[in-house]
Amino acid sequence: MRRARVLVGVVALAVVAGIAGAQESYPTRPITLVAPFPPGGVADLTARPVAASLEKILKTPVGVVNKTGAAGAVGMQYVATSRPDGYTLLLALSSISIIPEADKIFGRPPAFTIEQFAPIALVSADPTVLVVRAESPWKTAREFIEDAQKRPGQISYSSSGVYGTLHMAMALLEHAANVKLRHVPYAGAGPALTAILGGHVDALASGPAVVLPHLKAGKLRALAGWGEARVASLPDVPTFKELGYPDAEFYIWAGVFAGKGTPEPILTRLRDAMRQVVADPDFKGAMDKLETPIVFKQGEEFQRFFDADARRLAAGVRRVGRIETK
Amino acid sequence: MLTTNRVAAVTLGALAVVVLFESRKLPLGSLHNPGPAYMPVLLALALLVFAILVGAYGGASRGLGAVGWSEWRHAAAILGTCAFAAIALERLGYRLTMAIALGFLIGVIERQGVFVTLTLAVALAAGSYLLFDTLLRVPLPRGPFGL
Amino acid sequence: MTETVHNLLLGFSVALSPPVLLYAFVGCVVGTIVGVLPGVGPLAGISLLLPATFGLDATKAIVMLAGIYYGAMYGGSTTSILMRIPGEAASVMTCIDGYAMARKGRAGAALAIAAVGSYVAGTVSVVALMFLAPPLASFALRFGPPEYFALLILGLLVLAYMSSGSMVKALAMATLGLLLGMIGIDQMTGYFRFAYGVVELGDGIGVVPVAVGLFGLSEILATAGQETPPAVIKPTLRELLPSRQEWKDANWPIWRGTVLGFLIGIIPGSAHIISSFVSYAVERRLARRPEEFGQGAVAGVAGPESANNSATSGAFVPMLALGVPSGPIPAVMLAAMMVHGVSPGPLLIKQQPELFWGFIASMYVGNVVLLILNLPLVGVFVNLLRVPYPLLYPGILVFCILGVYAVNSSVVDVWIMLVMGLVGYLLRKLEFEPAPIVLGVILAPMIEMALRQSLAMSDGQYAIFLTRPIATTLLAVGVLLVLLSFKSLITHGFDWRERMAMAEKGDEL
Repeated sequence: MRRARVLVGVVALAVVAGIAGAQESYPTRPITLVAPFPPGGVADLTARPVAASLEKILKTPVGVVNKTGAAGAVGMQYVATSRPDGYTLLLALSSISIIPEADKIFGRPPAFTIEQFAPIALVSADPTVLVVRAESPWKTAREFIEDAQKRPGQISYSSSGVYGTLHMAMALLEHAANVKLRHVPYAGAGPALTAILGGHVDALASGPAVVLPHLKAGKLRALAGWGEARVASLPDVPTFKELGYPDAEFYIWAGVFAGKGTPEPILTRLRDAMRQVVADPDFKGAMDKLETPIVFKQGEEFQRFFDADARRLAAGVRRVGRIETK
Repeated sequence: MLTTNRVAAVTLGALAVVVLFESRKLPLGSLHNPGPAYMPVLLALALLVFAILVGAYGGASRGLGAVGWSEWRHAAAILGTCAFAAIALERLGYRLTMAIALGFLIGVIERQGVFVTLTLAVALAAGSYLLFDTLLRVPLPRGPFGL
Repeated sequence: MTETVHNLLLGFSVALSPPVLLYAFVGCVVGTIVGVLPGVGPLAGISLLLPATFGLDATKAIVMLAGIYYGAMYGGSTTSILMRIPGEAASVMTCIDGYAMARKGRAGAALAIAAVGSYVAGTVSVVALMFLAPPLASFALRFGPPEYFALLILGLLVLAYMSSGSMVKALAMATLGLLLGMIGIDQMTGYFRFAYGVVELGDGIGVVPVAVGLFGLSEILATAGQETPPAVIKPTLRELLPSRQEWKDANWPIWRGTVLGFLIGIIPGSAHIISSFVSYAVERRLARRPEEFGQGAVAGVAGPESANNSATSGAFVPMLALGVPSGPIPAVMLAAMMVHGVSPGPLLIKQQPELFWGFIASMYVGNVVLLILNLPLVGVFVNLLRVPYPLLYPGILVFCILGVYAVNSSVVDVWIMLVMGLVGYLLRKLEFEPAPIVLGVILAPMIEMALRQSLAMSDGQYAIFLTRPIATTLLAVGVLLVLLSFKSLITHGFDWRERMAMAEKGDEL
């Protein structure tokens, strides 16, 4: 009888120690960072330096797994439905706010909702820029907008897919400047870029890094940017805000998320780790090579940014509505 | 008389009808602006036509029984093993799932000896994991006990 | 010209330096392994191994990735020939005649011809890449949605030459394949079609699980339970090499496949996958004894395999000359370059000559390495066939599941493979051919998207197809081909195919 009580006591102690230990010594297992886009894309190329730095800081292997499909929905749904124990993280792009809205307007049960995630940190926020071919007649954004107002529906632009980031950027501009453009969706950012380089469309909203070489080579011209401030690598390109269209604000941002319900201590640990990640010289070097400036936001700031962005995009998606087929 | 062509025709025709039925929820659009239902409807109609054509000449093909289904039990077992693998792959992890699947196929279906079964099952499961996950870093699912 | 030679020498000095050579070799070996694995093709291979290159410098990384790409194309033919399992989508046509040759005991010959054809195609296309890259790239960029649509319609006509039996049945299978390709998110409007809430189906059912299931799994299902297991073929050393007649038969198809593959490869997009299908059709059309196709025609292996490999070089043309991501594989290579701080673009050749010419030179070297690697391996692989089938097929099954899973880390793909395996099994019993389904699955989303994009560009006017010269030419060629086949129908009574089918089955159409 006494031995049994001792046994129970030992077990209880072990359990308590285990729980306490588990919380203190997170992480004890390898962590998976899910990149919901195929290798070589923006999300993937941002995820890998993040994972590498996190691994150094948390002293546990952090592996990047690409769960691709449905413009990111597959990977995002996977993390939303995984156990929120802090071992499955998501590197999401701004499309995380778009996809549930799109699901809603189609009347289908959403693959996931943004409430299923706990934001950890924002890592980069590239504003998109409006590019046209060098041979086109528009030298400034104002000329472009005026021409678009005169000829509604005649100027064409490519995008990475309907309701994708590049489409939504243009949709926000259309609303802000009260113009109507002709949308030709492509299957991804690569084909969208190829289309404008081949002269099949007139304009494209793109992340600055991919078009930089073509701008430098004189094949494309950047007219304006969707950011709050001018893009560092394109100091001569004004923002739509400067030109008087403050509603045209759009970033292709990348941030780290965990599942909602992840215990607070783990979230705090991750947020601390991310703060160290963006100070890591290796990480900075990697992002430099990608020509992607680091924009770090955390906690309250990130939440505000995320909410404002989500609201803007949700309104944009609702305005686009279902594509009318006459 | 159940000939292969008639069976095929009926199946394909039924599939075409199902597609047509499912497409009614999607907007059709017009000739100048085809909607998401346009191509599926066109293709389903074409499939229906082909199914009818195949069935019309159905008399000349072989009877269903004459085809030779002797191996169907074997095939069913293999399919069942694959289904098990699909279900268990992300729950039990790659190595465990494959070892069980191989053990079942080699030991139970093919009735090889215990020694051969065990060696092959473990060797193939562990070996392929080593080559692809460890050496080539192709992520393969891990199950309980890190297997 | 002398400048090119000078640059090439610079490139070779880079490519043949021991560290770079080592990485090229490693890439080729890894690529071969990845290519032999069913389903995992060059795109999956490069994507999966991209992270492994992050620690290297730019030239070594690109060289290794290119080696993986080529190796995968070489390796893909191995499983196609030996086990009728496509190593990747582009090897599907090799499954047909390659496997038939293997069943006749000519596996070694088929493997050798595939290897040599790939080598010739790879080398010649690299030469073409070297000299013709800039002008070809500008031409390639002019392929927009209308041109793409016209080209793919031509690709559809290829289906007519893929069947050995009844035309109607082949068309039915093609339509089925096209319908299967409709599953997924409609890229133009965002509607989910036929996905029933399974998010993974958003991008469609994927050609890899379909191909592996339809060909590989169905083969296992049909053969494993036979009372008399397939005869184990034990070839002698002399039988491993192709006979003089087989070399002669392979000659012209290899050259035609090279040219055809390269031209199709330069077109931006995923059109390069259909290069092997088109080559098969062309060879069949031009063959003196077309009824051999499907029973082990050498041209049916030589042509598609060469077309495959030269299409890979073609795919690099827009990427290297203009920095344009002209397809998923060049996009990954471009990303690899970006990660290493090399910014691809039209000025790449001028600004980074060591990278460009080193890359070209390493492609030559890679082709030689792969030839040396693959020819002796022919003996090794053929010996695999000696393993008794009851022990062999479970191993094959494991690799099929592994390969199909690895492409997207998705169990849904494994389920698709399962279902298509069952479908393929039933199709065999009902005497239908599976190859048109694969082509349909590949072509359907591309054709539909090209058509609707063209209409979006022109605001609904079909006239766009007639106002653009390339598109009009391609469509005219297509119309011509259709008319030609009707002409033979009228003048000779029935096409040779129908005659052959009628003779075999007695008046079945």
